[in-house]
Amino acid sequence: MKIPLHMAKEKDLQAAGLRAVPEEEKQQALVKGIDQYRQWARSLMVMLETCTKCGACANACHSYLGTGDFNNIPAARADLFRKLYKRYFTWTGKTIGRYIGAEDYDAETLAKWVTYFYQCNECRRCAVYCPFGIDTAEITIAARSIMTALGVVPRFMTGVAANMIKTGNNMGIPKPATIDCCEFMEDEMKEETGLDIKIPVDKPDSDILYIPSSADFFSNVDTMIGVAKFFHAIGANWTIPSTVLEAANFGLLFSMDAMKEQNQRMREAAKMVGAKLVVQGECGHGWRAAKMYTEGANGPAPFGLVHILDYAYQNMDKLKFEKLPWRVTLHDPCNYARAGDIIEQPRELLKACVSEFVEMTPNRERNFCCGGGSGILMDEMMDIRMQLGKKKAEQVKELLPLDFFATPCSICKAQLPHVMKFYGMEDLKMGGVMDVVGKAIVLA
Amino acid sequence: MSNIDVKGQQIEVDEDGFLVDPDVWNQDIVEAFAKLEDVSELTEDHWKVINYLRDYYKQFGIAPMIRKLCKDTGFSLKQIYDMFPSGPAKGACKLAGLPKPTGCV
Repeated sequence: MKIPLHMAKEKDLQAAGLRAVPEEEKQQALVKGIDQYRQWARSLMVMLETCTKCGACANACHSYLGTGDFNNIPAARADLFRKLYKRYFTWTGKTIGRYIGAEDYDAETLAKWVTYFYQCNECRRCAVYCPFGIDTAEITIAARSIMTALGVVPRFMTGVAANMIKTGNNMGIPKPATIDCCEFMEDEMKEETGLDIKIPVDKPDSDILYIPSSADFFSNVDTMIGVAKFFHAIGANWTIPSTVLEAANFGLLFSMDAMKEQNQRMREAAKMVGAKLVVQGECGHGWRAAKMYTEGANGPAPFGLVHILDYAYQNMDKLKFEKLPWRVTLHDPCNYARAGDIIEQPRELLKACVSEFVEMTPNRERNFCCGGGSGILMDEMMDIRMQLGKKKAEQVKELLPLDFFATPCSICKAQLPHVMKFYGMEDLKMGGVMDVVGKAIVLA
Repeated sequence: MSNIDVKGQQIEVDEDGFLVDPDVWNQDIVEAFAKLEDVSELTEDHWKVINYLRDYYKQFGIAPMIRKLCKDTGFSLKQIYDMFPSGPAKGACKLAGLPKPTGCV
């Protein structure tokens, strides 16, 4: 099955600082790309060498369960990579290749890679169920990054990358617009509370640098408002940076080089305001990129790094809440629960803020992805996105009626309203955990 | 990239059907987009939203926050969806000739 993904053309690639490798050189470039990646990522080697095809991953993967496509079984997806690895980098593959599942590069190779590595949400659920812990997300990350270096990358990714280069955020918000948004949110909070709650931009001598998701400056306003109220309540000396108004780091989803560059932006922003602590906003994969790769990618960091949900949890003794009379459940974003150690904090916050907190099944590190993970948010992918979101919809349906569905990640916030509508739950209210904190918090 | 025919003139749009060059925008293009976006009739209210988006884009180079759009035009989000079935980002911004809002939206 071919997917309807719009791929970047020459102009799109250029805007993102990329280039297309000529057709006749693609095979050589792909093999070289695999070689370079395996040199520095031993994890990839281990995963390529280890699979026994036991099949435990099949029923763990919402992508396979939703689409029913054999190649969306994590082991089969990984095999699309493994076949080439064997053929070009193992002696058995080079000599008796076709008897051991090795395969030559051919005209279909890249089409298959695009099709199946862009139906993997990089959610890592397969890794929880695999007896060897093989993490298909790692293989997908490698495959996408290698393809991007060939100029084979979705237009959606290059669009985001071009905005990041131009403005420091995925949406392309310039600084004057950021300031206008902050003033608007300050007015909103003044109307609601009567208090002067500030959202400082590029404020020098700030102790805390808060990195929001740029979507909080378009659609998820209540998340940013909740965070501003929280910082106000604890008397924090904080600011947001106009140079990297983005907790997401799409580099992790299409190019490790781009991920590294954005991580460097965050470090420079922290240095510019003298921050001792960087607090990351509600974004799943961005938290993974920040937590797991900040020092690995760019060396020791002279500041602490914490997620907003962890930081709010650590400061709960300083906060006063008036419980909202709501029945609420939590969707665990994959990169919090399986890659970022943010599991109990959102639960404790929600329990303090609402009258009834209910768990969906399964939950925590066994939770299913929203179906938009790894940046599969393209409009042209909507039919497939709905198949990828099927398991999530089933989980939520079992808990109805709900007053609020907490989904503390911007990709989840963009994907789940479509999923809920598609599966007949259009009226369900959704948003971040900090949205709920902002509504329940009592300010002096 | 492809073209749409607007009263005999070929107008370039991207893969998502948004204007490639926001400066070529005119009333005929809005009417052509309206048909594609299931907007049956362009009322004064539609124009209020469209003009607001264009003015904001001219000043700031980006679409406004959705809540600000609602507050400044006086329409609820539901009313905006009633007017532009694909919503403020994919519907209203398209008619106003803005680039498609991208990222986690």
